[in-house]
Amino acid sequence: MLSTLIWLPILGAAVISLLPRSLPAINVRLTALTIAGFVLLWNIFLLLKFDISLPGMQLREYLPWNETLGLSYQLGADGLSIIMLLLNSLLTWIAIYSSNQTTERPRFFYSLILLVSGGVAGAFAAQNLLLFFLFYELELIPFYLLISIWGGEKRTYAAMKFLIYTAVSGALILATFLGTVWLTGSTNFDYNTLSTQTLSTALQIILLLGILLGFGIKIPLVPLHTWLPDAYVEASAPIAILLGGVLAKLGTYGVLRFGMALFPEAWSILAPSLATWGAVSAIYGAVTAIAQKDIKRMVAYSSIGHMGYILLAAAASTPLALIGAIAQMFSHGIILAILFHLVGVVEAKVGTRELDKLNGLMSPIRGLPLISALLILGGMASAGIPGMTGFIAEFIVFQGSFSIFPIPTLLCVVASGLTAVYFVILLNRTCFGRLDNDLAYYPKVLLSEKMPAFILAALILFLGVQPNWLVRWSETTSAAMVAAIPPIEKTVTTQVALNQ
Amino acid sequence: MDFANLASALNAGTILPEGIVIVTLLGVLIVDLILGRTSSRWIGYLAIAGLLASIVALFFEWESTNPISFGGAFNGDDLSIVFRGIVALSAAVTILMSIRYVEQSGTALAEFIAILLTATLGGMFLSGASELVMIFISLETLSISSYLLTGYTKRDPRSNEAALKYLLIGASSTAVFLYGVSLLYGLSGGETQLSAIASEIATSGFGQSLGLVIALVFVVAGIGFKISAAPFHQWTPDVYEGAPTPVIAFLSVGSKAAGFALAIRLLTTTFPLVADEWKFVFTALAILSMVLGNVVALAQTSMKRMLAYSSIGQAGFVMIGLVAGTEAGYASMVFYLLIYLFMNLCGFSCVILFSLRTGTDQIAEYSGLYQKDPLLTLGLSISLLSLGGIPPLAGFFGKIYLFWAGWQAGQYGLVLLGLVTTVVSIYYYIRVVRMMVVKEPHEMSDVVKNYPQVSWSLPGYRPLQVGLVMTLIATSIAGILSNPIFTLANNSIAHTSILQPTTVVTTQVSAVNNE
Repeated sequence: MLSTLIWLPILGAAVISLLPRSLPAINVRLTALTIAGFVLLWNIFLLLKFDISLPGMQLREYLPWNETLGLSYQLGADGLSIIMLLLNSLLTWIAIYSSNQTTERPRFFYSLILLVSGGVAGAFAAQNLLLFFLFYELELIPFYLLISIWGGEKRTYAAMKFLIYTAVSGALILATFLGTVWLTGSTNFDYNTLSTQTLSTALQIILLLGILLGFGIKIPLVPLHTWLPDAYVEASAPIAILLGGVLAKLGTYGVLRFGMALFPEAWSILAPSLATWGAVSAIYGAVTAIAQKDIKRMVAYSSIGHMGYILLAAAASTPLALIGAIAQMFSHGIILAILFHLVGVVEAKVGTRELDKLNGLMSPIRGLPLISALLILGGMASAGIPGMTGFIAEFIVFQGSFSIFPIPTLLCVVASGLTAVYFVILLNRTCFGRLDNDLAYYPKVLLSEKMPAFILAALILFLGVQPNWLVRWSETTSAAMVAAIPPIEKTVTTQVALNQ
Repeated sequence: MDFANLASALNAGTILPEGIVIVTLLGVLIVDLILGRTSSRWIGYLAIAGLLASIVALFFEWESTNPISFGGAFNGDDLSIVFRGIVALSAAVTILMSIRYVEQSGTALAEFIAILLTATLGGMFLSGASELVMIFISLETLSISSYLLTGYTKRDPRSNEAALKYLLIGASSTAVFLYGVSLLYGLSGGETQLSAIASEIATSGFGQSLGLVIALVFVVAGIGFKISAAPFHQWTPDVYEGAPTPVIAFLSVGSKAAGFALAIRLLTTTFPLVADEWKFVFTALAILSMVLGNVVALAQTSMKRMLAYSSIGQAGFVMIGLVAGTEAGYASMVFYLLIYLFMNLCGFSCVILFSLRTGTDQIAEYSGLYQKDPLLTLGLSISLLSLGGIPPLAGFFGKIYLFWAGWQAGQYGLVLLGLVTTVVSIYYYIRVVRMMVVKEPHEMSDVVKNYPQVSWSLPGYRPLQVGLVMTLIATSIAGILSNPIFTLANNSIAHTSILQPTTVVTTQVSAVNNE
């Protein structure tokens, strides 16, 4: 069941790397697209099989692997992971779709993407800490290669920075995992039997800090984010989609799964500072994005801002806030994907990403009207305009967090406003205005290049209008996760969960 | 003493694997004398067959009920079997690599193999030696053969320099080791067997004396030289750069494994009373090795020098298991050394292949290789990434086990340092991968532009290819299918009486009672 999500892409990667060298890039792409399509369909099938009324793990799989290390092949999905798995296979498919039809070294490119996809699926489904870590570290080298071979001008530097940061993050996470498992006296890394109740509070806080720092690099949270602008900007559009859409979610997923759920007591102690941290991250991301002159950098910093909300919601840890956090993870994934895709199209057609050079793309005949329209839609979704999924997620987050942390929540609302500011700047400078008549001879945008954006836009609008499809999967799971956390501060009253 | 008693005291069946190696060694020499250079076509395979037969013989001695042989001079327990297997296997793969390399350098293959087999013999005996003179003799057999191998390409001034340097440092460290050993002999009142020394020292009250500590330090200096632990590492980069590449492949795996075997046996049997002291010393060595090996490797431009510093760093990782001093700790060492055999030999096979085809081993010259030689690129990338501990390759599991065992034994600082230096090591390993894989065709180095047509049909290339592919497969899947190796490593420790906590406790208890 879940294994298919991991092994089908990995097998596909092997198949693609063995395709004959003479095969043109477009056929390799088609093969990859087919494989990713099958994975996506299988994932949707699993989603339909998923019983939303059960709080625990479903679709479990177990195989003994290595008893000496306490490592077992143990998979499972709950409301949190099933959505992330879907996001992963959806964005993999979109990323392959949005890749250039004449990519250089196509076999290597697509097999790396599929390998990453399988690895991420493994990390989301793993119910064993060491197995999670194995899949987590599996992203390291493929992503390094994806950035450094098919990236922009400064790709060598960006890829190395990404590599080092992620390796440090991995080391921190491994150290914490070893520590947690050994200190609790457990003999294996099984997630479901692990309990940190016996540990002293100080120890729990130290371990939780290790988790937060380790995953905070990946999310990324503010002082740990400096790899992100370089990596996102230098990566090509499909890779940026995967980096921002999927890999960042691995960080937030890790914080929720291994921070919040494993260390409930320490979590409730650290929650106020985490909420502040999230708010600072959100404000910082927004303010820095305003200052950028490059649209891809703007989108990259917007990503930092939007991940701050998730931390805030996780810190508040009311059932509502947690649903919001999961919804925000999904909607940020698809919104970032549409933005990166469109920015990639604009860059490919116009040849620049500079705000000072772009102008008047809305112009119906010689500009890129459809792309601009979709860009406006994406920007609005990102800024939290009602009717689109970004608004739903952010609103649930704010609603769920306000009663616990009013001031950080208000700061995040301000950050949300600032998001609108820089997206208006972005849209104003790129879409509106007049085209430069001497330079504006842009190539036509092919239908296949618009397709991913159409799909994502439809999804954004649909989930914005029918938010139940976004939140229903995680309601019981988040209620169960929150139930384990001791109340934070005295203001906590009984929260009204969505499903009650 | 009648014959039956003598035979049972000798128990000569234990050294059957070594016997096979000796016969092979003589066979190689005699065949070469009779047939001359014409024999070099198949003499390598003869030696490999001998080594494999020796490994098979080792297999039949597994869990032997009566491992003590030669009146206690040699202990054929499971620990020794694992290490003898590692040494023999590394020699076998080294021969696969060296057939073409030695031929191309214009020297005789049979002599090379003969010296290599002598070194193997020394290493195998060292793995099981449990008597001071025996230890010294096998150590010297290994060392002298290594000096000869290092300077084997004698027209190359760098090889000469390396041999001289290795000899000078090696001889002096052996002298230091010998001095420590003679102190042990004196302290124990004339015992040469390791277990007898331990109990004599315990009963005679020298348990914590300065003499014992000095003996310990001197012995550690000798061991540290063999495993190239940090303050005793200085020979490593120069020897690795100057010596023929197959030789350093053997030195980095076989010789190092023998050194670790000696370390485990000597330290646990002879020095249980100063266990805290030697653990402290090895903690220091591990810290220095991990930091120095991994940080200095960042700045290397030659592939062989980079691998030299990397092997210093890797020795540091292995020492975590030694310092942990638990059963899991020793088992993780055995496991890591087994894995290390595959990844290092795979890496060196690729380095040899590249230098055979292009005549250089500068890292910068590897750029753009993926287009010309995909197999070499794949092999070197996989082995280097495995050395860096990237999942799901073998090295990842090896490191996890080392760190896990270290953490269980409370060595938090060492494990954290190991994690940090692993991150550092990823940087310099990936630098080579970047050169080979990431560089565009127009950034190709001149050497790669003129890369010869990849052909395996030239004499001596086929065994190199076989060795490369086998170690490559082992490096890729030995992690995922690691259960048999884990079982092997764990059993080798669990079946070894000297490493059982009960024996250590009883010696200590008897020591306390006698004081």
